Amino acid sequence: MSAITLTSSDGIEMSVDRTTAERSVLIKNMLDDLGDSGDAVPLPNVNEAVLKKVIEWCEHHKNDAPSASDDDDNRRKTTDIDEWDQKFMQVDQEMLFEIILAANYLDIKALLDVGCKTVANMIKGKSPEEIRKTFNIQNDFTPEEEDQIRRENEWAEDR
Amino acid sequence: MPRPREAGRHPSAAPSETSGSTSPERAADDDTDFFMAQGNDSQSSIGVANFRDSHPQNVRSAPLPPIGRLPPEILIAIFSKLVSPVDMRNCMLVCRGWASNSVGILWHRPSCNSWSNLGRVTTSLGEPNSLFNYADLIKRLNLSALSNQVNDGTIVPFNQCKRIERLTLTGCKQLTDKGVSDLVEGNRHLQALDVSEIKYLTDHTLETVSRDCPRLQGLNITNCVAITDDALLEVSQKCRQIKRLKLNGVWSVRDQSILSFAENCPSILEIDLHNCNMVTSKSVTALLTTLRHLRELRLAHCTQIDDSAFMSLPPTMTFDSLRILDLTACENVRDESVEKIVQAAPRLRNLVLAKCRFITDRSVMAICRLGKNLHYVHLGHCSNISDAAVIALVKSCNRIRYIDLACCNRLTDHSVQQLATLPKLRRIGLVKCQAITDQSILALARPRASAHHHHSGCHNSSSSSLERVHLSYCVQLKMDVCVTRAMSLESVNANIFFHQGIHALLNHCPRLTHLSLTGVQEFLHESLTTFCREAPPEFTQQQRDVFCVFSGDGVTRLREYLNKNKASYPEETEATMYDDDEELDGDGDGDEGRMAGMMNAAVINDDDDEFLDVSTLNT
Repeated sequence: MSAITLTSSDGIEMSVDRTTAERSVLIKNMLDDLGDSGDAVPLPNVNEAVLKKVIEWCEHHKNDAPSASDDDDNRRKTTDIDEWDQKFMQVDQEMLFEIILAANYLDIKALLDVGCKTVANMIKGKSPEEIRKTFNIQNDFTPEEEDQIRRENEWAEDR
Repeated sequence: MPRPREAGRHPSAAPSETSGSTSPERAADDDTDFFMAQGNDSQSSIGVANFRDSHPQNVRSAPLPPIGRLPPEILIAIFSKLVSPVDMRNCMLVCRGWASNSVGILWHRPSCNSWSNLGRVTTSLGEPNSLFNYADLIKRLNLSALSNQVNDGTIVPFNQCKRIERLTLTGCKQLTDKGVSDLVEGNRHLQALDVSEIKYLTDHTLETVSRDCPRLQGLNITNCVAITDDALLEVSQKCRQIKRLKLNGVWSVRDQSILSFAENCPSILEIDLHNCNMVTSKSVTALLTTLRHLRELRLAHCTQIDDSAFMSLPPTMTFDSLRILDLTACENVRDESVEKIVQAAPRLRNLVLAKCRFITDRSVMAICRLGKNLHYVHLGHCSNISDAAVIALVKSCNRIRYIDLACCNRLTDHSVQQLATLPKLRRIGLVKCQAITDQSILALARPRASAHHHHSGCHNSSSSSLERVHLSYCVQLKMDVCVTRAMSLESVNANIFFHQGIHALLNHCPRLTHLSLTGVQEFLHESLTTFCREAPPEFTQQQRDVFCVFSGDGVTRLREYLNKNKASYPEETEATMYDDDEELDGDGDGDEGRMAGMMNAAVINDDDDEFLDVSTLNT
């Protein structure tokens, strides 16, 4: 079980078990390209704090079966996040979105999926105003536009 | 906030659904599955939409909240996790950026489940100054919930939706060529079209499809009886990406078009020719030899097919993709074909030979070679089959989940006792197996493990996996039977044996949702039939008199009733003659119909859940 070195955007080097790191398709491809040179893999888009968090997740999930079913099954289900992941995602919004961005950049599909589900769960059942409050978003609609969206999408209220 | 970008972006996080849904390794026993009926609702080609009337963006430069760092494709991936249209709509109302990124998900598949909703959808489509160009966002349109109301006029507003990928118009019988043709005209994105049961459709519609829809992958024209082989020939030449084809009941289908599909459409995975009885063996040989991905071949009631279909296959060629083969009522298919099929398609999972009435034990012995691959086997009306063959089958193929042996009237309790040991058995059809007795029922009620570990002394009494049990016209079954005489496995949970046969079955099959006992005199008593579901409306009085099917909640209530009234069983039965020629229950057509999903919906059959409105039983 070999270890490899990752370098975060803020220049911190981290030693990680290769299987763990290879949960990231990006890192896996880079390692394949680098060969066994032992060079550190630079990750200019992920800082130390976020990288630590991502590695923690990869460590916990390193033995997961390659998730072939991800594509179809998980896409629409929002509530079913496993318990460990739910706890893992209990971080401030800043960190939550950093993890999502890192998962996207590092190409860790399952982590991206958990992140998106977490955010979707924060949206579910909330009114537009509550959603804005939750994420600190400014309403940039004119009252007319808001009205028009309601009118044109009235059908969505059914069911 | 991210600014709206060009519409039609394909976010990398949302791959096209087609790659997933066409995988040959789908969930087991997805027998009713069809490209239109899939639960798989993965998003496809959702992009960011532009505001139609693009106002200059508000230039108030508020500090970006953390979520503002997410690029559109990730926002879209998040919104794609939402299920409720209300949530999606609420996202649209958050801010302009969110509106652009969520509108495509909301309109991807507008819900047209009610007339009023359909009206609202079409109103927005017709709004010239709408905020978004909704017409281009619709990728799936399904009007089957309103099939009785929809006519050519109804669908005119959708004519501007030229990016629809899946169009489902199942059973919209009032539609004609004009409506459907205008809808698909110029749509180069169409991938799946279901116009089944639209009897007015003619070749005109298919000509439009051939001309304009080169990406078509799925076509269901079940019972579009006016369509001819010539139009299908054109489809086979122009729509070469076809993967799924359902031509059930289109009686003019001939070898001409089928041979052309075999030649031109190498991606075909499933083809259903139920009742296309002008198709001959030549087509079958061609389909099998040229379509290397063919997974599902349904030829029910293609009565011209005979042994030459299979015997003229190249001797060493194998068909490793083939999982499902339905030869219902192809009675010229005989033992030598079955032997050839099993040898050439060793991974067959579902094999339907119902009403292939000349096959014998020789076929069953061949089927044994499918081993654990075989999950589903229908041998109804193959009345030559003996106990010895069934016993051998169970020993070789212990992963069978579904077996139908209706009208195999040589079979006795020996067969059923062996069948009862199948660990994964969910459905067993024994209609009109008149030699079987309560011994069989008790065997089915016995915990599976007792059969496996009888000698080892290990009695893992895991509950039965049985869900559907069909025993209509098994006339020897009794309500009241001395069980202790029957069973002497004192080591097994002794409690069971104080119950009677059916009662024991109910108590030991917690997943049971269907039990049919039509025509079994002992059960035609008011105290029991009160838990039956209603006979189908088209039944005659005579048929009603013997009708006895418990399903869904009815099974539960029957179980509860029997548990409460252990001591008192009905003493008298309402004796009614049943007509031996009436094949009312599960003797082939019903299961085949269910298996094939949309086919055969008109068959009168009390065994078909589609006709059951469970809510009427909840009184």
